[in-house]
Amino acid sequence: MTPMIDVVFLLIIFFLVSSHLSRQESSVELPLPVAASGDEDTDQTTPRVTINLRSDGTLLIGGRRIEPQQLTEALNEVRQQEGDELEVRIRASRQAPYSAVEPILLACTDAKVWNVTFAVYREEQ
Amino acid sequence: MRIPSPLLRGRKEADVDSAMTPMIDVVFLLLIFFVWTSSFVIVEHILPSQLSKQVGADPTQPVDPPPKQDFENIVIKIDWDGNRPVWTINEQPVASLADIRQRLAVIVEIQSEAPVILHPVPGVPLGHVIEAYDVAKLVGFAKISFAVNPQTETG
Repeated sequence: MTPMIDVVFLLIIFFLVSSHLSRQESSVELPLPVAASGDEDTDQTTPRVTINLRSDGTLLIGGRRIEPQQLTEALNEVRQQEGDELEVRIRASRQAPYSAVEPILLACTDAKVWNVTFAVYREEQ
Repeated sequence: MRIPSPLLRGRKEADVDSAMTPMIDVVFLLLIFFVWTSSFVIVEHILPSQLSKQVGADPTQPVDPPPKQDFENIVIKIDWDGNRPVWTINEQPVASLADIRQRLAVIVEIQSEAPVILHPVPGVPLGHVIEAYDVAKLVGFAKISFAVNPQTETG
């Protein structure tokens, strides 16, 4: 009995730790912009690509650095896999210049992804 | 052959129970730790924005014939003087974000269907762009879009 309980607890701990790590991987620490009208993120079914934009203008998708020129191609690929209702979530630093955001918006339209959301905080953090 | 006496069995079970208690202690401690740390994760919210099909295409040659518009666009231009944003609504300078809000509140009473176009210059930090977006959304405009600067489009 005891070894089985040992194994079960080990598994529980493993999954807790791994889920914790996987959540961290998808959320790069960024000072997001603040917006009082931000909606709650309740939709978990729509396929989604998260693009992280750091203050210095570097783009990250899934922890990987990507150049703005490759963005259209990458998004096109994902759209073909996931379907047309694909959502692009832009997690951009509030200090990032708009000139770094523009290529993302353009790449989305070029890849025919119309559903774009910005990640924001409700109040100053 | 040894026949386990009922007395001995009782003692063995008691041993197993006492050996498990520290393990359960540790597991509960871990559970509490993870539940507690998860409360420090800041909740993110989202600002949805639907991209329009004209964006990205050559603005002089629309893909679709433009739909008949009853309303004039409200263009909010956001300039950047190095330290702070400078706003203009349809070429008229506006002093502050609160001022934008007042003006938009007046316009939304008359034409809430009018499209709002945010036109930030390339250097504006995104935080200020989202602030303006937020104001327009809070006031009640439904169609808010982003303008793209021509040099980005060609390059």
